[in-house]
Amino acid sequence: MTTDHDTTVIARTVARVVFPIIVVTAIALLLQGHNLPGGGFIAGTLTAAAVGLVYVIYGLDHLEQELLGRPPSVPFTDEAGITREYGSLVTTGLALAAGGGAVAILFGDAFLTQAVWFFEHVPVYGEFEVASALAFDLGVYAVVVGALLTILAVVGAE
Amino acid sequence: MSVVVAPMLIALGTAILTLGIRFAPRVQRAVSVLGAVCYAGAVAVLGLRVVPDTVLAYQLSGWQAPYGITLVADSLSVFMLGIAAIVSLAAIVFSTRFINEIGQSVSYHPLFHFMLVGISGSFLTGDIFNLFVWFEVMLMPSYVLVVFTGGSEQTDAALKYTALNLIGSAVMLLAIGGLYSTTGTLNMADISMRLANAGSEGAAIGDPTPVLGLAALLLAVFALKAGIVPFQFWVPSAYKAAPAPATAMLAGVTKKVGVYAIIRLYFTVFAAGTLPQAIALPGFSGTGFLGFFGPILFVLATASILVGGVAAVSRPDLDGVFAYSSIGQVGFIILPLAVAATVSDPAIRALGIVAALVYSLNHALAKSLLFMLSGSLHEGLGSVKLADLGGLSRAQPLTSGSFFVGALALVGIPPLTGFFGKLLVFDTAGRAMAAGATEAWLALAVALVGAILTIAYMSRAWNRGFWGEPSELIANVRLSPVLLGVVVVLAVLIVALGVGFEPVYTTAEAGADAALDRSGYIDAVLGGEA
Repeated sequence: MTTDHDTTVIARTVARVVFPIIVVTAIALLLQGHNLPGGGFIAGTLTAAAVGLVYVIYGLDHLEQELLGRPPSVPFTDEAGITREYGSLVTTGLALAAGGGAVAILFGDAFLTQAVWFFEHVPVYGEFEVASALAFDLGVYAVVVGALLTILAVVGAE
Repeated sequence: MSVVVAPMLIALGTAILTLGIRFAPRVQRAVSVLGAVCYAGAVAVLGLRVVPDTVLAYQLSGWQAPYGITLVADSLSVFMLGIAAIVSLAAIVFSTRFINEIGQSVSYHPLFHFMLVGISGSFLTGDIFNLFVWFEVMLMPSYVLVVFTGGSEQTDAALKYTALNLIGSAVMLLAIGGLYSTTGTLNMADISMRLANAGSEGAAIGDPTPVLGLAALLLAVFALKAGIVPFQFWVPSAYKAAPAPATAMLAGVTKKVGVYAIIRLYFTVFAAGTLPQAIALPGFSGTGFLGFFGPILFVLATASILVGGVAAVSRPDLDGVFAYSSIGQVGFIILPLAVAATVSDPAIRALGIVAALVYSLNHALAKSLLFMLSGSLHEGLGSVKLADLGGLSRAQPLTSGSFFVGALALVGIPPLTGFFGKLLVFDTAGRAMAAGATEAWLALAVALVGAILTIAYMSRAWNRGFWGEPSELIANVRLSPVLLGVVVVLAVLIVALGVGFEPVYTTAEAGADAALDRSGYIDAVLGGEA
């Protein structure tokens, strides 16, 4: 691995620690996004930043070779390998966001109408709420992650 | 009620679906065409519900106006949606054969339908910030479509197109921000109501004068989208660079979004405003907001007709002629609006809007026909330079016949739709003159000069490209039957709509009445349980 010579031990160690923190923060922002600061977009950019960190510190191939255990797809030929998966992520996200809005029509409400459920007396957690806007936010999250990672991978490979 | 949102949802669904199945090209193409057919169907159903005088308001996510985002479908929106439906169906069928396999499977169909989502959203929204969002949704895919074939010429055109539109978007956002801070609302019906009450006891707006300035700033943005002089410089290169069916959409429909925004905002929304003190400017005196824009629109229209017409006469290729012609033709759409804004007689005002709508329809059909015809010639011949053509009328009677119909529709020969468009433009100016607005002779003169210029550049293109002895290349050329079929269908449609003009006129008239029926619009959006 040529990338072993590129980054220092400090950088690699820090990246390992920071990566999960960023992802947990992203998930927290995603879950509270329907009525507090946060949401799908900001969570998506944070997650993309976390993966971007792995790209920078460990190199583009590391993610596919070491973590997913398959041959690297860089340089990209005709939309193969991981960028194709990122593309599917975008499609899924779009479908989820649009579908989440359209479900309301089935219930006889206006497009994009949302609902919220409150759960009380939940063990440990106490009380929390699930908003149907989460489906929309998840869709946005998937679109943002997929799109940003595609850009990072393709531009990074050049 | 979901019928209001249906066209948008169908286009959005088709865009996502075609993105999802892009690795199965045949299925993707079938779904894409089917999506365009369903879109046209949804628009037709919406039209039956709305025309002639119903205004349907749809409160997205159930938040009541003016706090939520409202979609409003009235005859004006439906008329524009109808134009979009016809042109996009023709363009997408044309694309399945015209765009290369890789291009289609990578991104063409999703982009096309996303552009349609943005266009439909712009026609339907009743919220001015939302209008900005739909403009962006429409523009993003169009940037990619301009650069689609990826040559240096395309990159250059797309760079210009993108940069100009980004500046336009920034200015638009600025103006909308200003409107929000002066009127305190973004809902168009609410803005209109507050403007009407401005200055009275306890009104939200004390002095409406800043709104006039901000509205003028917005006009520049819409003029940029519609490609009116002096904001026309992106038009020729972008139209030349984009693939033919995408150009047909840009010229036929995207431009009309700018026209629609001018009609909707200035005739329905801002027309409610009056200045606290009368001012006198050249061509305008009084207090009405709408009258203020009359001379401005007139100058823009005149400049467009002259610049577009004169430049089109000297272009060396078909695409260039059509691109400059479309600058001139948009001038013809704006000209009756200028007259309508200046006069105070409601009948003449409605007539001016009818003229603009009918002319928009005619231009959308004729220009998309011509651009797609030029595209199929380019595919068959490899060139659309007038010097390389010549003799097409003998070698390709069907192609030439379609060109002839498209050209005559732009010139305005009966019984084509173009004749009625031109007739209504002249009628508007003439009636304004008869009603005492003597300045209207200027509009009449400009329209006359423009008509002569149209005859000049179209007959030049016809003489150079279609008459004469066919060269070897031309005599042996084979044009794709699918591409030619789409062009011929559009030509037949122009003739059919011209012969059976009555329903077009009544729909356009209903659209004009809807545009001027401010209280009906406000009641539908804000009034009671919608």
